Amino acid sequence: MKILFPSPLVHKLIAVSAVLLATALAGGCATPTTSQGMTPTAIQTAARHDKTVSLKVSGGQETEAIGKSQISNAAYAQALTDAINNSKIFSSVIQGNGGDYLLTVTIFNMDQLLFGLTFMVKMEAGWQLKRVSDGSMVWQESIKSENTATTGDAFAAVTRLRLATEGAARKNIEQGLSRISALKL
Amino acid sequence: MLKKIVFISLVIAALSALSGCAVNRASASITPDTDLKAMKTFYVVHREGDKHDTDQLIKDHLNKKGLAATTGPELPLPYPADAVVTYIDKWFWDITMYMLELTINIRNPSDNFPVAVGNSYHTSLTRLSPTEMVDEVMTNIYKQAK
Repeated sequence: MKILFPSPLVHKLIAVSAVLLATALAGGCATPTTSQGMTPTAIQTAARHDKTVSLKVSGGQETEAIGKSQISNAAYAQALTDAINNSKIFSSVIQGNGGDYLLTVTIFNMDQLLFGLTFMVKMEAGWQLKRVSDGSMVWQESIKSENTATTGDAFAAVTRLRLATEGAARKNIEQGLSRISALKL
Repeated sequence: MLKKIVFISLVIAALSALSGCAVNRASASITPDTDLKAMKTFYVVHREGDKHDTDQLIKDHLNKKGLAATTGPELPLPYPADAVVTYIDKWFWDITMYMLELTINIRNPSDNFPVAVGNSYHTSLTRLSPTEMVDEVMTNIYKQAK
């Protein structure tokens, strides 16, 4: 059976439409980053501190369905809690303000870039560790991290961006906790 | 039949493209113990590659508030001011170029530690002028100051 197209113009229209349709279908709604995706599996630790810590995370944003994947304060705090519990850098994480130390992490910058089909996410967070007993600042540092995700990680763009974002957050937590483990508390 | 497929595909693609046309977001946060009102002199770092002179707009905004501000390239620490201002501006084309997103950081001049941040994101249909974007971000940052 031979299919005849009416004209070359229709041919081109079909091709353009197919590309547009594929792009539309590959899009979809943005999904928020997950705490599991942001939790590092292993952290290089110099020492473990026999102290408790409370956490405060700010600067995060909720994900809108038609926007981009964002990091919420709650998800980042959960990833940080899980990372501390897994690595035992502090003896435990205390909810509220009852810890020996207060760790404040503020997400300052999140730059989500697209190069071809690769997403690169650059993140900067301000880390501050305070001793609660006297209110003194023990350590503060701006930690920058970045991560890329390609079509090998995920075909759908929204998933690829989420993975790139989660990776940047995960690396940020790795670096921050690794620095804290090297402190003499 | 073919014409129907083409038509339906174009409608779906157009709807998908239009769905992201009106996103607005504005936020700001400040680290605890930061006294923004004590900062009287600012050094605005010109972002490398910025062809829109956004640093000048930030400087103008600070000057209008009665604060001293200068702009220039990135310098070795410490900066000769009470605070350093850095920014990331993203531009997009839709009939004309417009500022899609602006993030402004206020930093400690001795170690570049960020002490305050503001971000605004407005897509094409609700676009703001660059001056309005700067005003919105800076106003939101100062709203966080105690």
